[in-house]
Amino acid sequence: MTSGPEDTPGVRRAWGWLRHLQAGGTTAWADWSGPGPAGGRVLPGAQQLELLRRLNLAGRPSEALVHRVLTASAPGRGRPDLELDGAVDRPRFGPPPVDPADLPDDELLRVAANLLAEDVVAGEPVPEPGPGWVRPWRRRHRLLGDPALAVPLRTELIARGRPPGGRNAVVLVLGTDLGQMLADVWEHRCFGDGGATWRRWLDSLARRDVLPPRADLLRIAEAWTGRPGRGRVEVVLDPAAVPDLVGVRRLSPPPPPVAADAADLARRVSAVLSLLVTPPRREVLLRQTLRPRLAGAAGPPVVLPEEHRAWVHDRAVRMRDGLLNAGYAVHGDPDALLPRERPGAAEPSDAGVLSLALRLLLERDAAATGHTDHGSHDGGHDGEETTR
Amino acid sequence: MTKRVLLHVGTPKTGTSYLQDVLFRNRPVLAEHDILYPAERFDDQFLAALDLMRLPWGGLETEAVGAWDRLAGRVRAWDGTAIVSHEILATASRSQVGRALESLGHRDGVEIHVVLSVRDLVRQIPAEWQENVKHRRTISYARFLEEIRDPQRDSRIAAWFWGVQEVPDILDRWGHDLPPERIHLVTVPAPGGPPSLLWQRFSRVLGLDGLELDLEAERANPSLGVPETALLRRINQAVIHDLDPTDYRPLVRELLAHQTLSRRTDTPRLALPPEVHPWAQDLAAAWASEVKDRGYDVVGDLADLVGAPPVQTWADPDHPREKQVAGAALDAISALLLENARLRHTEERLAGELHEAHRALERAYLRPTYRFREKTVRRLQTSRAGRGALKAYRVARGRSSRSE
Repeated sequence: MTSGPEDTPGVRRAWGWLRHLQAGGTTAWADWSGPGPAGGRVLPGAQQLELLRRLNLAGRPSEALVHRVLTASAPGRGRPDLELDGAVDRPRFGPPPVDPADLPDDELLRVAANLLAEDVVAGEPVPEPGPGWVRPWRRRHRLLGDPALAVPLRTELIARGRPPGGRNAVVLVLGTDLGQMLADVWEHRCFGDGGATWRRWLDSLARRDVLPPRADLLRIAEAWTGRPGRGRVEVVLDPAAVPDLVGVRRLSPPPPPVAADAADLARRVSAVLSLLVTPPRREVLLRQTLRPRLAGAAGPPVVLPEEHRAWVHDRAVRMRDGLLNAGYAVHGDPDALLPRERPGAAEPSDAGVLSLALRLLLERDAAATGHTDHGSHDGGHDGEETTR
Repeated sequence: MTKRVLLHVGTPKTGTSYLQDVLFRNRPVLAEHDILYPAERFDDQFLAALDLMRLPWGGLETEAVGAWDRLAGRVRAWDGTAIVSHEILATASRSQVGRALESLGHRDGVEIHVVLSVRDLVRQIPAEWQENVKHRRTISYARFLEEIRDPQRDSRIAAWFWGVQEVPDILDRWGHDLPPERIHLVTVPAPGGPPSLLWQRFSRVLGLDGLELDLEAERANPSLGVPETALLRRINQAVIHDLDPTDYRPLVRELLAHQTLSRRTDTPRLALPPEVHPWAQDLAAAWASEVKDRGYDVVGDLADLVGAPPVQTWADPDHPREKQVAGAALDAISALLLENARLRHTEERLAGELHEAHRALERAYLRPTYRFREKTVRRLQTSRAGRGALKAYRVARGRSSRSE
């Protein structure tokens, strides 16, 4: 960030580029040479300016969004706001200047996640159906295990007057193939506490040879067996068996997993949200405001990377054998726990996540301002655009 | 309206914990003299800094939601002098600085002063590496020195180090909107000076001279020696992937580092390698010259920034004397055993209490009267007359007796 009062050809060029970007321009810094007058307290950092250029390439941000981008700071630890290479002589102090085009997508995503988190806080959560009239004749149950299966079913049953719990409730531990369960738990975390990337999270589990609690069906079953006032524990690997077990004719299928890039974006937004709202509010916002907006994002979901398949297969075999040896009733084929080949992405891509973040920022901006033109444009409406 | 705000923004390892402890414990005395130190708990200003900079801190940030605005609100409502102090504020960006100054009333006529306490790089560099190790890092000292000396400053460690230590850059960011006479630089005295000298300098710049304050420190951020830091780094390498930050903080940072290993004071102290020494001193001299040219108010002596000459015998923490590390490890094991014994006793007591609770619950479920009452309720619920009777009973009883 260059101070306002400085007045050199390089600084004037930087202010000119800022004006160009504010007017919707898309010219890269390296190709820009037009000067402009100083117009603010400080010149924004290279990250903010490049993010605005990418937004201009993706659509037509409103004046309000442009202002937010230019005054945002990247949250968390990382590189500070950087000067533009060529705007100032090599400063004697502070970090070295950069060509914004050389900034990795991850740096731009730090700023974008900050803005998206603010949007999520300002957004209205999509209301979930409230609890229905409680049916006295309901079958007492409790749904545990894979969150992608258990959470939506629990929500639906509550809405239909069949809340979990009750004396002698049968404990249903829901699961599917372990590779998918791990992906489901990671996605659930992305829309909750956030945390590590898909690969780092898996690496950590594999190194310690542990499963996350929600995917460890044997541990769940053991923990609920013999608790006072609880009924029997049954493992459900066949989704078609669930309606009978909870005493309804049919249940909605669980929503499909979101794209890998969408889950990773939620993870990044979650980290910023932790500084903006309390943890319970964060979870509501992520699941009821952000998730609906990400549900339709194109792209494959995460799948197990090649290097973890052997470990996951080994853990699945141990889980299957443990459940059978312990004598738990299992609905469905126990071999359904073994990981299967599925189409998907071994990890999200920063470029894909950034592209999605830009789209969401523009969508929200359009909704807030009533501006609907999302098409990319050439920009430079009132800025002087020249090529060096 | 607050007349004056003194904003102490760093740097780390310059006696800040001691200063903040004194200010926190003496809030009533300060308030009698129209000085506000806005904090309900000791780490309130740390949480406010996390909030201002949207800085995650191992889960602590969840307690920081809205903390800066609360702090700024208290400052604005105070009709006197307010002191805000936290060393991580040094790394704030210009946008964040702008927000901070505005929220404290900069544009509304409040007289804001920025205070930066600084210490020579000869001591700051090893101290920052040690802080990294005390915050779960496993980086070697050699690698740390390499990263911070890399002109590109690409790594997170280098970005953080210079963000909180590069004096002219910090003052560029924090002093951008303020005249130089409202920017105060407090230098930490060279080693061997009177222990009270630093406090006298803080006291002068913060306008505390003449106040009767309790200066007995309760909190400090003690330093470790070479073998102790080397041991801590090895512990990090062994457990870092398995120990969550919420467990690491009390067990490793507090119990091992602060309460146990910091008591070993007869081992070699961390220092700059002799070959790095001239670079650090040249850089500090350039900073001192820049500060002088800018005309800031210097409390102390800019010569303090240059630092002491190289040590005669330098101990390399990447290759410590194994006998000394073993001694530190024994102390660490002893401390962990004693703590483990204490936790075992607590666990036994809690397990006994839980067992009793389970038994009481089982007795309640198995009691014939409970089963009889449950059966009666079920039967009553099958008819309209029964449900009416139940409703009347519950109204008379004053609360619901439904089991769920």
